[in-house]
Amino acid sequence: MKFRQFLLAATTCLAGSMVHAQSTIVWGESTPKGLDPHVVYDVPMQLFMLNAYDGLYRYVGNPPELTAWLADSHTVSEDGLTWDFTLKPGITFTDGTPMTADDVVYSFQRLLELGQGPSGGLTPVLQPENVSKVDDLTTRFVLDKPYAPFLAVIPLVSILNSKVVMEHEVDGDKGTAWLASHQAGSGAYILDPETYKPLENVDFARNENHFYGWDDNPNPVDVVHVPTISENSTRILSLLRGDIDSTDGYLGADHTAQIEGSDNAHVQRDESMRIMVIRMNNQKAPFDNVDFRKCISYAFNYSGFIDVILGGQVARNVGPLPGNLWGVPEDVAGYSFDMDKAKEHCDAAREAGVEMDRDMKIHIQAHLDQTTQVAQLMQQGMDELGLSLEIVGDTWANVTSSTASVDTTPDMWIHWVSTYFVDPENWIGQMYDSQFHGTWKASSWYTNPEVDTLLRQAREETEQAARAELYKDAYRIIVDEAADVWIYNTVAQRGLSNRIENFKFSPVGSGADFRWISVSD
Amino acid sequence: MLLFLIRRLILIIPVLLGLLLLTFLMLRLGGNDPAAAIAGDNATPEMIERIREDLGLNDPLPVQFWDYLVRAAHGDFGVSAYSQRPVGIDILDRLPATLELTIVALVLASVLGITFGALAGIWRNSIFDHTVRVVSVAGLATASFWFAIMLQLVFSMGLEILPLRGRLPTGWTPPPDITGLYLVDSLVTGQFATFWYAFLHLVMPAVTISLGGIATIARFTRSAVVAAMHSEYAAYEQAVGYPRRRILMPYVLRNSLVTPVTQIGLLFGAFVSSAVAVESVFDWPGLGSYLVEAIFTSDFNAVLAVTLVIGAIYGVVNILVDMTQGLLDPRVAETM
Repeated sequence: MKFRQFLLAATTCLAGSMVHAQSTIVWGESTPKGLDPHVVYDVPMQLFMLNAYDGLYRYVGNPPELTAWLADSHTVSEDGLTWDFTLKPGITFTDGTPMTADDVVYSFQRLLELGQGPSGGLTPVLQPENVSKVDDLTTRFVLDKPYAPFLAVIPLVSILNSKVVMEHEVDGDKGTAWLASHQAGSGAYILDPETYKPLENVDFARNENHFYGWDDNPNPVDVVHVPTISENSTRILSLLRGDIDSTDGYLGADHTAQIEGSDNAHVQRDESMRIMVIRMNNQKAPFDNVDFRKCISYAFNYSGFIDVILGGQVARNVGPLPGNLWGVPEDVAGYSFDMDKAKEHCDAAREAGVEMDRDMKIHIQAHLDQTTQVAQLMQQGMDELGLSLEIVGDTWANVTSSTASVDTTPDMWIHWVSTYFVDPENWIGQMYDSQFHGTWKASSWYTNPEVDTLLRQAREETEQAARAELYKDAYRIIVDEAADVWIYNTVAQRGLSNRIENFKFSPVGSGADFRWISVSD
Repeated sequence: MLLFLIRRLILIIPVLLGLLLLTFLMLRLGGNDPAAAIAGDNATPEMIERIREDLGLNDPLPVQFWDYLVRAAHGDFGVSAYSQRPVGIDILDRLPATLELTIVALVLASVLGITFGALAGIWRNSIFDHTVRVVSVAGLATASFWFAIMLQLVFSMGLEILPLRGRLPTGWTPPPDITGLYLVDSLVTGQFATFWYAFLHLVMPAVTISLGGIATIARFTRSAVVAAMHSEYAAYEQAVGYPRRRILMPYVLRNSLVTPVTQIGLLFGAFVSSAVAVESVFDWPGLGSYLVEAIFTSDFNAVLAVTLVIGAIYGVVNILVDMTQGLLDPRVAETM
């Protein structure tokens, strides 16, 4: 017997002793940093929130549809200030405790009082004392001022089992220490806390008593393992070997070709709402000059990047909203790669006395290849214009912290804006209203009182058609002033094993909502 | 020897303080501020500022450093911005994985390095000697990150005889936590299947880490053996007619071990450091991959505590090396 045969035989024999659940999948996506949905809020956290918790509303499908989830219905007063949400009757948490309006009130008040995680979407308009119980199933929210995106941010708030969390409070910490590694929700999947190790693994088992039922899914997944896989190359190889059933949704062109050439996996492509942007610090010379920013906008080779480097696997996005969202004006063509126009605008800036001979810097996220490629293309374009651009390797954490002030914000930096909630407010609202200065989303420090007014009106206007017009007007101005360089809207590309069926992508959570997934074996 | 041990242990304290200060300054003067990262993707400026205030990041740097030292002296290394758990718990969870990997790699490097180096020294200028020297240089020049991926492609994807990543198969229950070293715990509790899987998962990461170590130890051993074989005492023993095997075993090889042992001690620290890259490729849940994530997320508490632990390991291992040298060479022992 050859050595390889011996090893395989021994391994197979030993593997026979493993106790497999009826249907098990291994999901190769990142685990979140901490498990408290009121403390942590980033893209990886959405996987945990969607599976371990429920909200009053949930985004489902693509384009994402705001669906009543725990809530049976809601009403809103004519002035847009008072919102009543009524729970579906008979909902229980994973420990069997009935869910009531007390839990909803506790969850929203806890989130607002902690002031972390997704609370940023609510704190400007909602005070903890203005969340109250009307009856066992109904909760009332009274806003400080009309806030049209209120319903859109409701899915961000996970409803906690108040009794369980309060039992684990220590020194008034609202249970944060305990909830960082446990679950207290009603979600379709139940965390096995013994298996949770940060940056290593977390396992889920199906909640057979989930309020939504399982009639729509004849072969749901019983057990989900979510190991942390740091390196993309390891993730791809794991899928090809059959060790995992899914990669993340950010595959590059080389990886998709590799997966499509295999017999046991395929690539699913879904248009998302995640735009890639080169930010420019609009308050730092020479970027404080509109002509200079236009010069930079024309000097980037969009088609070279999208069609050649990325193999055409993303869609050009010309402004500060995903092209597939409402509020985008159809008459804005945006910028294209045109060095003649770039020179024209740079010359105009020089004539206006703009000093542009200094060394400028563009910060990249060093572990994300696309940011390097974009920076190099930008550098090439600027070099042709006689402008100096230095590429600086950086981390997400470091750049976002540096955006707290104008002086520390880089000249330029590159990032994506993902879908945290589906409303123009998530992109154009929080990126270009000057009241958000000091956050990473508003890091171009763009200031235009007219745009501020439009965005604030859109925030308070309750009719979507009227809001759309306001956003379109703001969009036109922002693009005309070349506040940033907008590159593309993502097409999510995820490697899936062929045993996965009914993977339902949504820009919110990238499809990591396990309850829809079936397994073929 | 006891006085030597106490003196060296006391000397570690200022070394660790210096290491902490240097790391702290590099983190803080580099413009890093973890508040925005902790606040999350949807934070308002007020949320970020409040977190900054809560963490004391608005205090003067000396105050921040002193506060950290006081807390660390009481065993409180703060809460990780990434895991939201006490850093001490995270480290205790992950340290055994790194120690297991490093110890296995060190044993591998020592056995192979000393064997190849000694034989190359004994058979000086033979084909074997030349091969060992060429391979040693190649081993030192090979980037561990690249080598790790090559091993994955050959042994996991091509030959399919070794697992690609992790410490055990996904979903496999780890052995009861006695030492945290899976090989030891699974053997002690009689879980031979777990032992076998733990062993298979260790092979590629350990080989990757040990590659440079094998080369280093082999080169130093070879040089020491060559020097010892040309020493006066070896010439004398040869002149009085001792058989070659007797000259080699007790005299040449024992005297040749002092230098490699020093290198082995230094390599232990180097292996812990190189685990940073290797653990990431193999998803080995140790301190290295934890440190990488801590750096990417500006997790100050985690970076400082891991640096402290690695520094302490390095210091202790160096003391052990000095003591071993004393055991091998009485002249060294006299100076202790």
